[in-house]
Amino acid sequence: MRRLLAFYAAAAYAFLHLPVITLAVFSFNRSRFTVWEGFSLAWYRAAFRDLQLAEAAWNSLLIAAASTVLATVAGTLCAYALWKRRSRLIVASLMLSLVTPEIVTGIALLVFFQGLFRYLNLQLGMHTVVLAHVSFSLAFVVVVVLARLRALDPALEEAAMDLGASEWRAFRDVTLPVLWPGIAAAALLAFTVSFDDYVITSLVAGVDSETLPMVIYAMARRGANPVVNAVSALIVIALGGLVILSERLRRR
Amino acid sequence: MKRRIFLMGLAGAAGCTHGRPRLNVFNWSNYVAPETIPDFENEFGVRVRYGVYESNEEMLARVLSGNSGWDVVFPTHSYVEPMRRLGLLAALDHGRLPNLDQLSAAFRSPEWDPGLRWSVPYMWGATGIAYHRSVRPAPSSWADLWRPDLAGRMTMLDDPFEVLGACLKKLGFSLNATGERELRLAAREAVAQKPLLRAYLNAEVRDQLVAGDVLAAQLWATTAQQAMDASPAIRFAYPREGFGLYADTAVILRESRRKPLAHAFLNYLLRPRVAAAVVQATRTATANGGALALLDASVRNNTTLYPPAEVLARGEWFRPMPAAAQRLRDRLWTEIKSA
Amino acid sequence: MNRLRLGFLAPAALIIAALILAPMALVACYSFLSRGAYGGVEWIGTLENYARLFDPLYLKILARSAVLAAAAASLCLLLGFPLAWFIARAGPRKHLCLSLVILPFWTSFLVRLYAWMFLLRDTGLINTLLLAAGWIREPLPLLYNDGAVLLGLVYGYLPFTVLPLYATLERLDPSLLEAAADLGAPPLAAFRRVVLPLAAPGMRAGALLVFIPCLGTYLTSDLLGGSKTFLAGNLIQNQFTTARDWPFGSAASLVLMGLTLLVVFVWLRRQGENLL
Repeated sequence: MRRLLAFYAAAAYAFLHLPVITLAVFSFNRSRFTVWEGFSLAWYRAAFRDLQLAEAAWNSLLIAAASTVLATVAGTLCAYALWKRRSRLIVASLMLSLVTPEIVTGIALLVFFQGLFRYLNLQLGMHTVVLAHVSFSLAFVVVVVLARLRALDPALEEAAMDLGASEWRAFRDVTLPVLWPGIAAAALLAFTVSFDDYVITSLVAGVDSETLPMVIYAMARRGANPVVNAVSALIVIALGGLVILSERLRRR
Repeated sequence: MKRRIFLMGLAGAAGCTHGRPRLNVFNWSNYVAPETIPDFENEFGVRVRYGVYESNEEMLARVLSGNSGWDVVFPTHSYVEPMRRLGLLAALDHGRLPNLDQLSAAFRSPEWDPGLRWSVPYMWGATGIAYHRSVRPAPSSWADLWRPDLAGRMTMLDDPFEVLGACLKKLGFSLNATGERELRLAAREAVAQKPLLRAYLNAEVRDQLVAGDVLAAQLWATTAQQAMDASPAIRFAYPREGFGLYADTAVILRESRRKPLAHAFLNYLLRPRVAAAVVQATRTATANGGALALLDASVRNNTTLYPPAEVLARGEWFRPMPAAAQRLRDRLWTEIKSA
Repeated sequence: MNRLRLGFLAPAALIIAALILAPMALVACYSFLSRGAYGGVEWIGTLENYARLFDPLYLKILARSAVLAAAAASLCLLLGFPLAWFIARAGPRKHLCLSLVILPFWTSFLVRLYAWMFLLRDTGLINTLLLAAGWIREPLPLLYNDGAVLLGLVYGYLPFTVLPLYATLERLDPSLLEAAADLGAPPLAAFRRVVLPLAAPGMRAGALLVFIPCLGTYLTSDLLGGSKTFLAGNLIQNQFTTARDWPFGSAASLVLMGLTLLVVFVWLRRQGENLL
């Protein structure tokens, strides 16, 4: 049974990584089309020289980091409060956020920012993108953390409070430690969703806030562009390396 | 809250530029030569923020707000009038555009902007049929895209104007028909075509043409030229019944706070040398007659990009639609796609 | 509500009010306005946008989207459950395993879709390999159909089931299963009566996190489906871009969202629990 499960997991990982591996392989293709014409690093050189790509990648990271932190903190606290006592309004609003198609969220935020900024004389930019990302990540975080909380036994906290701990201490010392895997999973989801977002970002981005998906989308729309493949391969290697590194550090 | 302020400050500091004035230009992708922007920056001592987009809708969505931050954008000609009506454009000061007389005669006072009060034509093109040379008989009319022997290997553009346009032309109507009867007949043609259709694709089909997945495609002349550059097996035909023409034009947004500099940029683009360099890099058809004179004869005689006069006469410029006709076309497009 | 709970809710409440409710109120407002002659909106109240939606054309689009989204959610759950189980039981390696699930999704979604197109095309990798191996004689039409769209959706949303499922399964006490076995329960029964009920919150979360975005998807059906069919997401996107009919698009969005909420609440009510 375990063997079967491991085999299945391997197949699932293969399925998930197949497109990226294909991209990586063809990033070394000399030709820009899908016929293999020989090994070449030309596209990698082009990717490194491309300042626009570099700036977009940096923007994406910054935005994803900022929105993940904000959404995870706000979302975790909110999920905890909801676990203790449901609030119809909050629940309904988060539901609304989840149910809204991306294009609608994007348009709604765009129109909202436009109206607001007309009075404040501001423009679209990094800040609007971060705010937009927080707005759609929040619901994801709450859902994941709440699902995890539901599996917890509320008696634990009650016991702690019976022993004299305050509500805050009960949360911090009893629930939070057990909650970390859920929070980590939620943060991971929020980061992914933010880093990968194209639709909403493209609508609320300003002149100076191009993100990686926007640049890649534009490049890919014009047809197969191995520079895109090279960039994708680089991202996967870089982030994969980061993940493995963090894994090593944690184990120490 | 503090974190948010800190991050905003960081972002603001990152975006802060000291010294040289800035110009924000939003253009179609692949529409300038590598040296076009840097040369402008050096000559005028400015910095240019150059963004690109893939569709008019993308550009319009950003610009509609009136505080997008862009100074110069490049709408397709049929968008100039709507944008003007929406109050998005700044009137052009011809005094700052002495190079306007470099434009080809056909573009000095085009039907979408007589007197060029709002826009400056930049590049133009047409829609036709790109096909693989193995297709026999060679396609020469829109009706050829309804042939059963091309089933599953033929694509159309993913654009209601182009698809309905081809159907209207096939039936002998005007590209810009607004009558209900004509439009419904055209829609019926499109629905009849769907079982044979491989997909609705835009520029992406170029690679599939080159690879041989697709045998015939409704495609723009410039994209077809790119396919032909990549593979000698690709040909291009201007359909017998007539075809659509478009021109991408440069406009200055009313919200721009750097109008003199924007004018200088437009004037710079109109220089024959600059325009010629762009053409050589992008393989697009330029509206700049002065540039054409500087280019190699082989470029001028390229029948794909610069069709002879008798072929060009069959072309029709796209026009913006009145509200009711737009509504009907939208609905018909939805019907075609849901069929 | 005591002070702690209030404090905990405050950041989220602020975000919700300013970035979710206010913009949606604006969209709701737009749905009652008229389309400007060249796009944008005109402040003339009308119910026409909603009336237009009762056309069978639009209802058909909605039905098709719902079926596709349900199929995608079911497949994601089916495929994601064993994977989440494996990760939850992976011992010290579990964070690594989890991150490996997410890793591909840090490259652009669009680029991965293009990679799938490259794989599925007539002259793509899969067909080339199958032809070379002699298993088929003519290339299989793998791309530009509903199957390809479903594949793309499942591929794109699998982590959305894996993560919540992992979050609940990770908490599952293995001794419960041992106890069930000790009491003589066969593995399947143990699974059905011990694991499933405990994993249910994660499953519900996962299914909804997939179903809802799939309902409004448009990129995947555009690229992998050849842009040949309009789903609800395409319809809405079309209204906000090519058609420039924002009021109608807003009305369509609200109706779609309303129906989704209805389905969600009815489904959850029958399960006897609420998602949030």
